[in-house]
Amino acid sequence: MRITIDDISIECEEGELLIDVMLNNNINIPHFCYHQDLGADGNCRMCMVEIKGAKRPQIACDTFVKENLEVITKSENINEVKRSILELELLNHPVDCPICDQAGECKLQDYYMDYGLYESHLTTPKTKKGKAIELGSNVMLDQERCVLCTRCTRFTSEITKTGELGIIGRGDSARVGVAPGHELNNPYAMNVVELCPVGALTSKDFRFKQRVWFLDTSKSICHGCSRGCNISIDYNETKYTREKIHRFRARRNARINQSFLCDYGRLSYKELNNSFKGTSSSIEDLKELLKEDKKLALASPSLSLEQLQAIQTLCQTHNIKLFCLAYYDESFGDGWLKTNDKSANLASVKKLGICTCQEEFDAALQEAELILNFDHTLLKHQEFGNKKSVQFTSTHLPPACGYCFGFANFAHDTGTLINCEGITQKFYATRFRDKNPSLSELLEQLR
Amino acid sequence: MITKIVSKNFEILNSHTMAVALENGRYASLENLFLQKPREIIDTISQSGLRGKGGGGAHAGSKWQLAADTQGTKYLVVNADESEPGTFKDRQILSKDPHLLIEGIICTCYAIGSHISYIYVRGEYEEFSDILQSAIDEAYEKNIIGSGAQYPLDITVHRGGGAYICGEKSALLESLEGNRGHPRLKPHTPQAESYFGEPALVNNVETIASVPFIVENGAEAYRAYGTEKSPGTLLFALSGHVEKPGVYEAEFGLGMWEYIHTLGGGVKNGKMLKAVIPGGASTPILPAHLVQEAKLDYESLKSLGTELGTGGMILLDEDASMVKALKNLLRFYHHESCGQCTPCREGTSWVDKTLDKFIAKTATTEDLKILKSVSKSMNGKTICVFAPAASGVINGFLKHFENEFLECIQ
Repeated sequence: MRITIDDISIECEEGELLIDVMLNNNINIPHFCYHQDLGADGNCRMCMVEIKGAKRPQIACDTFVKENLEVITKSENINEVKRSILELELLNHPVDCPICDQAGECKLQDYYMDYGLYESHLTTPKTKKGKAIELGSNVMLDQERCVLCTRCTRFTSEITKTGELGIIGRGDSARVGVAPGHELNNPYAMNVVELCPVGALTSKDFRFKQRVWFLDTSKSICHGCSRGCNISIDYNETKYTREKIHRFRARRNARINQSFLCDYGRLSYKELNNSFKGTSSSIEDLKELLKEDKKLALASPSLSLEQLQAIQTLCQTHNIKLFCLAYYDESFGDGWLKTNDKSANLASVKKLGICTCQEEFDAALQEAELILNFDHTLLKHQEFGNKKSVQFTSTHLPPACGYCFGFANFAHDTGTLINCEGITQKFYATRFRDKNPSLSELLEQLR
Repeated sequence: MITKIVSKNFEILNSHTMAVALENGRYASLENLFLQKPREIIDTISQSGLRGKGGGGAHAGSKWQLAADTQGTKYLVVNADESEPGTFKDRQILSKDPHLLIEGIICTCYAIGSHISYIYVRGEYEEFSDILQSAIDEAYEKNIIGSGAQYPLDITVHRGGGAYICGEKSALLESLEGNRGHPRLKPHTPQAESYFGEPALVNNVETIASVPFIVENGAEAYRAYGTEKSPGTLLFALSGHVEKPGVYEAEFGLGMWEYIHTLGGGVKNGKMLKAVIPGGASTPILPAHLVQEAKLDYESLKSLGTELGTGGMILLDEDASMVKALKNLLRFYHHESCGQCTPCREGTSWVDKTLDKFIAKTATTEDLKILKSVSKSMNGKTICVFAPAASGVINGFLKHFENEFLECIQ
């Protein structure tokens, strides 16, 4: 089926929402309340378009496409409609962009530049509402910046079904809030910050730390569990500071995580800033060590497919027994995004045929004289007595842990993960290089 | 001039009690009702041309048909959330003839195949709600309703929380479901309303109260009153600067001025009439010279650029300040906007606040422009008709009385 949007013919399916067709085809359609993973609510009235044959402008989020539908998104008339709605959205807004963390990624700003560009007509005092309200779970609320799109309340009522957030009051005193004595408290709470199209909900963790236009972004995959949620890593390197990661944001993937991310995964970026800072031991020493007789290697199940392959090759060359034990936590999974299997890449481990048997590992550990640990948490801080040990690590370790080699963590590396549903996904390194080499490069030198 | 169909028993002492109601012909239509098939009742209602009396004026027959044809457990929801300023007719039925409403509910439920009915009563109507409840209790006792009745039916009174918007049928259903009273997006094709996913029919109190007469006497008897397109009667009401304010039932099509003069005794204290708000606050104002032409039916008032609405007329005499009158109305809209859609939430408050400057006589020409442009922004861009109605009210005042607003400009 075909429809026409601004004289461009577009292929779509009967019964699709017009706004979805536009978003999927990268046609600019301003909107606040509509969200592809929350559905339509129809309250913001920003996505108005002209439809041939309709008397009045219609909202694209409540228009279903039908054969030969003719849509106009750019005309003097419809731009005036959008301008008038935007003026009302912005009417009581404090316009405090210089101190607002959303600045730079704020829909009000974007649309003002696209359709607004007017002087304020307001001749009466602005409506005052609550500022800097702590909702709980790292979420801060500024009611004056809110456009009442209800994305956040719909998220807590329809997605997490925890229902902490609601609209209180009516008319122009309507505002988002929590019930007295309650707080926003669920393992996915920080999603509302990202869902908020304006600066009303901000993250306490990110507030006042960076301006978003100073941030670079890389496409990555969360390594917190086996779900493989798609994320964007926001990072930068300044004149005075080395590269630092400032936040994870959910990257939309309709098959895996839609537009969401759990708070555990979202805050796991902090570990990445804690990369190995000590001095690496010498490769020559390691080559000597590899001449030992009984050798064992344990690889983290969160390493990428490429890293695991490199380790496997090394082990085969030097006759090392290779194991990989899953990170398993019965209390972690929740039937939605979080899985009990906290290893990011166990499916790849199984695909490569690496032994995951705990008993065999325990027996081999008893016998082994040299232990190579590839970033597995089990052996990271363990004392091995008279056994020799080599640590390959992407995180910082306490000094005096024997032989130690730092390698780049996943933010600084490119690789492949297979998630719990068998979906293969790639993640990409940030722009700035870590001072630690990638694990594959490191192992290359041992050949 | 008065035609008493719904208001027949209003002046009888204790008309709200079962004994008096039975003496005066209540529940008489039920005999005729059960002789007919439900489908025949719906046809009769369609033929009678009965129109919704809550303000919209939609044909009742087609709504009933939709509800009857939809699969599922059916509900009848009676809209008694009467909160329109200048409208006080439903409370007369609730307090003076609740048995007429119950009788109407039985007829309607039988026709659409519903066994559960809710009456959503305006929160402030505590007294009327109590009278209604005692009438329902009496009807249960007499097995007129309840599981032992000839047609098993339960009626539950639900009192609202005091929001005007809950008079809008979809907001009413949201509220009845236990949610915030926010209107729903309108369906793209005609379909029955939905209550917890099941088909529901929502009708105004007076519409339901008109049903027994039609069931008892037939469609033609109802069509004998009123005009071709607006058949029957309406509980018109008079308030404001009028000698005898009150609710007087009359057939559609009477001259407005004639009605005001004859039944309301003319403008209070013999003053001149300046304007009439014809059908509850949400209809555009009609200046005196148009009042002379106006007939009390949907079509005539539509042609004059306003609406019949609920038929609750508010009179304004020659001394009334139109600026203050508009401020009064906008204070109401500002307070009652549900806050869901942007144009309504921000628009009503902006106009209300701007009107303060007109009252204080500190307005500028820019402020007058704001009134006009905001009213335009509010029209036709929202989920329900609250904002367009408010916009029509503002436009009506500015169209006919702009000079009074200009006088308030510095």
